[in-house]
Amino acid sequence: MIEITLPDDVWQDVEPGTEALVEKWLVGEGDTVRAGQPIAEVVIVKAHQEIVAPADGRIEKIQVKADETFGKGRPLALLSE
Amino acid sequence: MSASTAADEQAWNLRQLAAVAAVALVRVWRHRSPAVVLGCAQRSLRPAIERRAEGVVALVDRPAGGGAVLAGPWMISLSIVLPSGHPLLRGNLIECYRWLGQLHVEALAECGVRGRALRSHELRGADAALGASAVSWACFGALSPWEVVAPDGRKLVGLAQRRQRDGVLLVAGTLVADPDWPLLCGVMGHPEDEAALRRRAVSCRELAGRALEPRRFAAALERLIDASVRGQTTFTENVV
Repeated sequence: MIEITLPDDVWQDVEPGTEALVEKWLVGEGDTVRAGQPIAEVVIVKAHQEIVAPADGRIEKIQVKADETFGKGRPLALLSE
Repeated sequence: MSASTAADEQAWNLRQLAAVAAVALVRVWRHRSPAVVLGCAQRSLRPAIERRAEGVVALVDRPAGGGAVLAGPWMISLSIVLPSGHPLLRGNLIECYRWLGQLHVEALAECGVRGRALRSHELRGADAALGASAVSWACFGALSPWEVVAPDGRKLVGLAQRRQRDGVLLVAGTLVADPDWPLLCGVMGHPEDEAALRRRAVSCRELAGRALEPRRFAAALERLIDASVRGQTTFTENVV
């Protein structure tokens, strides 16, 4: 199982304690995705950022729903290969 | 000079992102008619705002983040679309803001307006110095890294981004004159925030004591962008 997170480089130089917002999911639980496919859109420091699937697989669980916020390192979803 | 609307600007931004070119694309905008432009994370607020805006002012969605802006003749905005791999994208998203903020500081200085770009660690102190609480629903009611403020700390330029696999959109809005704050606050359902916005934002006209010349500001932005990327940029027809 792969944990899908907002990559660390996006958090680089962002003030500690800052939260990002999941604006919307482009896929749902149970959907099959391809590596590099955009699967969610988040907003961090006024920047709209695409999240892409890190590998081919199936979205098993969405852990941060749309309109919820999350901090650095928190998994947004679980992907099974 | 060609007429444009805030809707034209946002549509142009999305079109360029959908078909990212090999070089950066730059466009400077000024709109004759007002429009409330919502940040992409404000979508859930839209139905109520739409009811208040109907018959009063146009309502437009921005593909980048941040709070609502009232576009119109009092604002000059800038769109830059960078293809992935462009030299300006070697840094992270905060680095992009640093470049964009400093670019505006220099362009404004050439037009006789003094400002400075806020470092991340300065934000809390800068917010506190403005007294009233931040007005988070409005772009000019809150401060983010490398946004440009006047010497007294009031916000002059707002910045935002949209980052996709194939390219990045950087946008900025500069207050050249005072916006119609009552219109923005009324449409957003927060008439009580008008005074706070006046305390937190300032225009070039108020700072310099005269109107900013849009074409001169646009030319300064273009020249500074071109110098940063050494010719790897295409300038489209500016709308100022």
